[in-house]
Amino acid sequence: MSRTATILLAEDDPNDVILFQRALGRASSNAYSLKVVRDGEEAISYLSGQSIYADRNLYPLPTLLLLDLKMPRKSGLEVLSWLRKQPQLRYLIVVFLTSSNSAEDIRLAYEAGANSYLVKPVEFTEMVELIRNVSVYWLELNEKLPLSAIAASSEGARTSSGNS
Amino acid sequence: MTDMASNQTAPEDERRNVERTVETGSPDPRQHEDKISILLVDDRADKLLAVETVIAELGQNLVIARSGEEALRLMLHQDFALVLMDVHMPGLDGFETAALIRQRKRFEHIPIIFLTATTTHDTQAHASRGYCLGAVDYLLAPVLPDVLRAKVSTFVELFRKTKELKRQAERLREVETQNFKQQLSETNDRLEAETKRNRFFLLSIDLLAIAGFDGYFKQLNPSWEKALGYSDEELKARPFLELLHPLDRETATSEIEHLKTGSAIRYFETRYRCRDETYRWLGWTAAPFPEEGLLYIFARDITARRLAEEKILSLNEQLEKRVVQLTETNREMETFTYSIAHDLRAPLRAMLGFSRALLDDYGAKMDAPGQEFANRIVSSAKRMDQLIQDLLSYGHLSREQITLGPVKLEAALDEVLKECEPHVLEKEAEIQVETPLSDVWAHEGLLVELLVNLVSNSLKFVAPGVKPSVRIWTEEGDAWVRLSIQDNGIGIATEHHQRIFHVFERLHSAEQYPGTGIGLAIVSKAAERMGGRVGVESQSDRGSRFWVVLPKVPRS
Repeated sequence: MSRTATILLAEDDPNDVILFQRALGRASSNAYSLKVVRDGEEAISYLSGQSIYADRNLYPLPTLLLLDLKMPRKSGLEVLSWLRKQPQLRYLIVVFLTSSNSAEDIRLAYEAGANSYLVKPVEFTEMVELIRNVSVYWLELNEKLPLSAIAASSEGARTSSGNS
Repeated sequence: MTDMASNQTAPEDERRNVERTVETGSPDPRQHEDKISILLVDDRADKLLAVETVIAELGQNLVIARSGEEALRLMLHQDFALVLMDVHMPGLDGFETAALIRQRKRFEHIPIIFLTATTTHDTQAHASRGYCLGAVDYLLAPVLPDVLRAKVSTFVELFRKTKELKRQAERLREVETQNFKQQLSETNDRLEAETKRNRFFLLSIDLLAIAGFDGYFKQLNPSWEKALGYSDEELKARPFLELLHPLDRETATSEIEHLKTGSAIRYFETRYRCRDETYRWLGWTAAPFPEEGLLYIFARDITARRLAEEKILSLNEQLEKRVVQLTETNREMETFTYSIAHDLRAPLRAMLGFSRALLDDYGAKMDAPGQEFANRIVSSAKRMDQLIQDLLSYGHLSREQITLGPVKLEAALDEVLKECEPHVLEKEAEIQVETPLSDVWAHEGLLVELLVNLVSNSLKFVAPGVKPSVRIWTEEGDAWVRLSIQDNGIGIATEHHQRIFHVFERLHSAEQYPGTGIGLAIVSKAAERMGGRVGVESQSDRGSRFWVVLPKVPRS
């Protein structure tokens, strides 16, 4: 519907948010729409269109969700687990962007259904490079699931969940 | 003792043989001794001759005394079966002599026959006096040979019989003595054996007892008192199961029931109450004798062993708890370090990012010192991030669970060189690997990390303007492989060879040679985790040879 793809960034650190916005600006000539939420609960509110997020013109469903792992109220993992159970949202592309490279965190992320797991680089130039790669791959190269297919699969999911 | 007894019996047997010879009356030079002696006492030769003739016919030994005194003297030395004595003699007369003979215990019962020629009216008086003195007969002269012979032979026979009887009695007594001695010696032996067995019972350190099927002790050795404090009577006074620890009573009761029905020896362990109310552990070995209704008990104080076992058990439990605690602590540490990584690196990222933003957006507005300050913030933040990362990997290295296995050193080194490639190109370094390299028993990830550190160091620590030249080779020992990395760098003075493997030990300023001072500590820790060692041979300005010794792949 909207011409520009929306990226939803769930990040509690305001410094990281500013640096991300800056890096995104450097990384891509394409004007992506960046929406930011500050914790897990807010992410769920946004995605399920609650309260102010009901206005999908202002807050469109994102094409890509960038999740921090450790956030207040609800962690990135909790958001992802919730997301994969939502018929309308379960195929949303989720990329973790975190400072943890713990094997256990990586395992849990993939187990919950993450599409990708990236460690935040300390060096700003590396951050720019990383965001460029992510946007090129997930927003341009990667084939997106048509909306009709999502609707069909959500029908199926409803039926099967009703049976179980 | 038995030997001595048999020695004693030998001469007795011999004597018996001698006596037997006498009985059979076979001719023997010693026979005159065995002839029965008869003493004839008379002062008149004519009378003597008459009697002598009669007695000679009897074939016995006749001894003649001419007076009462001589008769008494002769009788001191010789036994006589019979005394024939004239009443009328000068000196001691017959009666007086008889009275003196009778005084001797030995001749109390010797038969005395008086010979006399007194007139008839005297006869009665004479005879009664003679009988009073113990005469057995009284013969009037002239003596009738037949009468004399008959009388003498009767006495001789009597004497022989008496003597025979005496001998038999003696023999009987000897046999009895012999038997008695034998019995005595057997009893002695038995007693001695029992005493020795008893000593086992009395001296044993172990607790020995005999108990009845009725549940009471019948006999106890002194060790019980020593071990438990009760007197013998106290222990016998109550059923022995009463002193068992309440928790062991069931076990012991069932064991005793088993014993009563079977015959097998059983072993079991229980606590037993002492007089001071404490409990001691006893190991019971018991065997039943159902015919006697007795239990033979052998118990041993095993308190020390049980306590040691309990201690080991509790130590083990403690150890297990500690392991659980440690594992928990380890996990907490892991969580903690990652939270550090996450939380510490976030502000660093901001410092770095905003310094860069400052330089990018406002660099043109800053003079040279302003730009330099911003650059210093950037480089300090980068350095701190490297420090945190190195510390994390060092900490991780110490705690990580690793499994060792065969590692192809050449493949591992390929990976190392790939990782170092940018550095190699930048420095125009030459790396020479002397293949083939021996395989090692290690952990590939750790080994690569270790070698990356060593190779990076050899590329880094060179004098300005010098192109690094590195040579890598292995040598094999019996059980070891030694990998060496020789460089042409600045070298390390001998006094620093130990220090450089410790965390945060640096020999150069960060500006000269950047680094965190953790690289060689990681190398050392990694080698240690893989059961190996690291070391260095180097002198200032002469290059360094770092070596790693690792176990060889064991031959299967």
